Amino acid sequence: MLKVRNLSVHYGDTCVVRDLNLALGDDEILMLVGPTGCGKSTILQALAGLIPISSGEMELGSWQASVHRHVAPEKRSVGMVFQDFALFPHLTVQENIAFRLSDNSLADHWIELLGLNALRESKPSQLSGGQKQRVALARTLAHEPSFILLDEPLSSLDAALKDTLRWDIRKALKKAGVPAIWVTHDQEEALSVGDRVGVLKNGVIEQLDTPERCFSEPASRFVAGFLGEASFLPGHISGNQVITSLGSVPGIAIHCDDSQVDLLVRPDDFSLCATSDGNGLIAWSRYEGGTRLYAVNLDDGPQVSVRVIHENAIAVGARVQIDIITTHPLAAFPRQPACVC
Amino acid sequence: MRWPFSYPLALVIALLALVPVGVLMSLANGDATFFDQHNLKVLTNTLWLMLFTALGSIAIGVPLALMTAYAQLPYRRLWLIVLAAPLALPSYIGAFTLYAAFGPGGEIDQLLGVTPPRVYGLAGASLVMTLYTYPFVLLTTRAALVGLDGNLVNAARTLGMSLMASIWRVVLPRVVTGMAAGALLAAMYALSDFGTPAMMGLDTFTRVIYVEYNAFGLSQAAMLSLQLLCVVALVLFLESRVRGTKESPGRLLRLWPKPWQSALMLLASLPVFLLSIVLPLAIFVLWLVRDGTGDFNFSYAWNSTYASLLAALVAVILAVPVAHAALSGKAGRLMERVTFLGFGVPGIVMGTALVYMGLQLPFLYQTLALLIIAYVLRFLPLAVGSVRTSVESLDPRMLQAARLLGASPKEAFCRITLPLTMRGIIAGAALVFLESMRELPATLLLGPTGFETLATYLWRVYEAGYFGRAAVPGLLLVFMSGLGLALMLVGERGSDFDIKE
Amino acid sequence: MQRRTFLQSLLTSAAIIGTPMWASRALAAESTATIVGGVSVENLPELSGDLTLYLGRGEGGLYEKVLQAISDRNPKLNLKIRRGPTAALANSIVAEAKAGVRRADIFWAVDSGAIGLVTDAELAQVLPSDLQEQLKSGFQYPNWAPVTGRIRTLPYNPQRVKAEQIPSDIMALADSDLSIAWAPAYASFQSFITAMRLLEGEQATAHWLRAVNKRAKSYAGELGVVMAVERGEVDVGLANHYYSLRLKSGKPNANIALAFTDNDAGCLINSSGVLALKDSATATNFIRYLLSREVQSYLATEAYEIPLVKGIAPPPGLADISNIRPPKIDLTKLADLRPTLKLMRDVGVL
Repeated sequence: MLKVRNLSVHYGDTCVVRDLNLALGDDEILMLVGPTGCGKSTILQALAGLIPISSGEMELGSWQASVHRHVAPEKRSVGMVFQDFALFPHLTVQENIAFRLSDNSLADHWIELLGLNALRESKPSQLSGGQKQRVALARTLAHEPSFILLDEPLSSLDAALKDTLRWDIRKALKKAGVPAIWVTHDQEEALSVGDRVGVLKNGVIEQLDTPERCFSEPASRFVAGFLGEASFLPGHISGNQVITSLGSVPGIAIHCDDSQVDLLVRPDDFSLCATSDGNGLIAWSRYEGGTRLYAVNLDDGPQVSVRVIHENAIAVGARVQIDIITTHPLAAFPRQPACVC
Repeated sequence: MRWPFSYPLALVIALLALVPVGVLMSLANGDATFFDQHNLKVLTNTLWLMLFTALGSIAIGVPLALMTAYAQLPYRRLWLIVLAAPLALPSYIGAFTLYAAFGPGGEIDQLLGVTPPRVYGLAGASLVMTLYTYPFVLLTTRAALVGLDGNLVNAARTLGMSLMASIWRVVLPRVVTGMAAGALLAAMYALSDFGTPAMMGLDTFTRVIYVEYNAFGLSQAAMLSLQLLCVVALVLFLESRVRGTKESPGRLLRLWPKPWQSALMLLASLPVFLLSIVLPLAIFVLWLVRDGTGDFNFSYAWNSTYASLLAALVAVILAVPVAHAALSGKAGRLMERVTFLGFGVPGIVMGTALVYMGLQLPFLYQTLALLIIAYVLRFLPLAVGSVRTSVESLDPRMLQAARLLGASPKEAFCRITLPLTMRGIIAGAALVFLESMRELPATLLLGPTGFETLATYLWRVYEAGYFGRAAVPGLLLVFMSGLGLALMLVGERGSDFDIKE
Repeated sequence: MQRRTFLQSLLTSAAIIGTPMWASRALAAESTATIVGGVSVENLPELSGDLTLYLGRGEGGLYEKVLQAISDRNPKLNLKIRRGPTAALANSIVAEAKAGVRRADIFWAVDSGAIGLVTDAELAQVLPSDLQEQLKSGFQYPNWAPVTGRIRTLPYNPQRVKAEQIPSDIMALADSDLSIAWAPAYASFQSFITAMRLLEGEQATAHWLRAVNKRAKSYAGELGVVMAVERGEVDVGLANHYYSLRLKSGKPNANIALAFTDNDAGCLINSSGVLALKDSATATNFIRYLLSREVQSYLATEAYEIPLVKGIAPPPGLADISNIRPPKIDLTKLADLRPTLKLMRDVGVL
């Protein structure tokens, strides 16, 4: 069980991470997501003991670290997978993975499992990006850390590789049964791989929750916008319903003092069909392969994004009918003056 | 703030390096004139020589760096070694043979009957210094070029810029620091070299110091040395300001010249090679044929080699904490700079200062141990520079990764830092070895009595006027230096890790 | 430093190297009939024990051969030699004395100025009087012994000028209309100017330098001077005697002859010298070997140096040396070189 309490990190006078609190279960994968410069990598480095912290404490099993009691990185039993892998260029794959192992069976185990058998004697410079990532992961896991930190492990890989590799990593982490913190800036990755997601903004966690809740009940407009395409429909609360120009839907008020709200609607919460007596006009469309994304200017409201299956092709400028088809409650935020999002 | 562990060691080494400077100060306090008209002329000559050497080595070194870094020539590795080879030749040998070959009555005149112009004075000294220091610019610039993302040139060309223009406007501005580092090193050599200005009859600091010294003006020589040290300090200061911003590595630019273009490029670099390598070696061979080997004894070569090897070994061991300190903070950086001072003191004065220093340790005086200390003090900067560069280029995440896998700092150092910087360490050791092999004044004054090396033997036959007998030790010295250089270039190939060939 | 020196020495060295059996010749008991003075090595005690020699710049390989021969003759002698630039070794000796470390037993310097540096520091042992008495008058010093000498000469080209045209007063050369070759950067020339400065004063020397400079061609070394005279580039040169003799030995019909001035710096005899730094019989006896008949005549015949021991024949080609009157000057005073350099720079000849 990894526990972090009130962790803050300063670079000079700049506060990079503020009052972070975390508790991780035994094989839980926590995704930390946020825009560039939000402090996610800093958190990993602080947890690994690579940089000094300015306040707070953390503990994991046998050790406990605070500002005054620094625990050296090698004493923390922590594994880290670096963004550009940090493989030792002078060692072979086998030697990298077995770096500090006296017994090679663990290395062999992970080499087998991650399909690296043919590459044992290769040097890192001879490997492709995906292969390097597997070696880095195998190296980390083979050393049996008590928890694992992954610093944007897929960011330097091709899109095609990312998809399979992210599941391979998740499987491997689960197999190893250790808690992991995985930093990414890719919201799709964050939502699909993690058991929980933490969304960071300017060094502060805005929300820490399951992927589903983060997506459907975001704690703030920032979280809502960061995790996916979001449209905001003005409306007002009445009981547990929100009444909008597109009708009334179940809603959950988030930090609302007032009845005037903006309702968060995801592109797939809408239905769309072309009809001459519709309530909006197609502003633009984007073909996405399996789906199409349309922007629709509502006659009496803002522009909203709608995602439909690809068969449904409608020309730009055509009149359409938009409806909200969701049955689950939608998040409602306090009304904001227009143009901010 | 807590001091990094390397500071105390680096401080001791820095203080040790300052001792000769202290000796110079105590020697200079007698009847020495502080500065006069003549000094001004000497200073001007010295500065001109430095400037011309720096410019000349850029003019030759940068095009060659571009060629060896980017052009996909056949036998690329060979060209690089051939073009860096002048480093293996002591410049005094070059100055001596160029002087002997050119001009009326020279070897070329005698053999061919055509009289080439004399290589003499400021122009001659600048030419010789340039020929033997351009490899510094070649190597530093090439290293910088190899680290650049070649796609920027491709970008410039797709924006309609010609290849030459894009190299001029997109590539060269980004390797200015590499060029400057090499040019400053070249200028430093020009500053501290004695043999070349002496043979070229140019009154630079080193030559005047030598003249004063031989006129029994030890205190004036010490005073002039201190003035020279000020110039050295200036160069060191400039050098410390040259810090390149690191670019993220990218794909290496590759140019595929047509065969005639390759031939033309190699042909254009031929004169440099002929003048700096072929001519001196040819002159030596000529002398060898003419005069035979004389009373040369191969134990001299062995003496040179093992003393230089020991010096190289000790120097790199000491260089590691100094380089570490230099990268750890401002104070460490200052300590590192201090160890560089001794590099600029002319050998004869440094030799005498070390005699005074060595005499404080009578049990060491005139032993091999003291000689090696002297070598180390003189040439430590070469090892430090090389080690520091390789540590600087080490990805810090490598160390973090090792620590996170449970390695203690010591284990991480031994298993990651050391092997990954080994090439830099070897390169530094090779440089110290090269310089120790050539070192003369300290060897004469501090070595065990009767300890004869290649350099002292060369000096002896030269003084005696038997230049023909210089051939065998000269060629041996070049050969041993060539081995050292080859080692150093192995160190220079550190880029192999990043760039797939 | 000079190419011409080197080129020429290639010619002459062949002759020297061509006599590997010199040792048996030089130290042989049989001596040629012309040699009358000096003590033969046969009469010298055998040397034994450790002896450390600081050898300031071995002139030619000949000093080395002398040392080798002495070692060969005295197998019980453990002779250790430290070679170095003369001034550097002199400075080392002074530094060693200051630190109370004495390593050298004997200092043999090619230049009497370096001897002056050590004697001024009162580090030289007083030599036995019989050693002094072996030396020619004017070359007897209490605490060091000149070994061999070299004389300043005016080499001239007899096809261009007659002997009568060469002034017998060096100062008069400045007012002559002869074209002159000189080598101002050369150490022996600077010693000559130092002597002139000591004998004639700063003013006269500066005037002389200025005047000669107008009609002089500069050469890097004095072998170059002598060769220029021989080729007829100039009428007369300023050089040590042995360059002309060596040139003649390689080229017997060379167009060169030697003229001498009278009792002034122009015919200064400077010398190499040896001194003992420790009061030991071995050191003193070693000096005796250097002054022996065999070593003196060897250096005279092979290196064309002027023997300074009484009764040894001068080098071939310098037979009339006994008629020349060199100036009386304390050779150790020639160490006062720096004012000379300043003067030469001020005048613009350096």
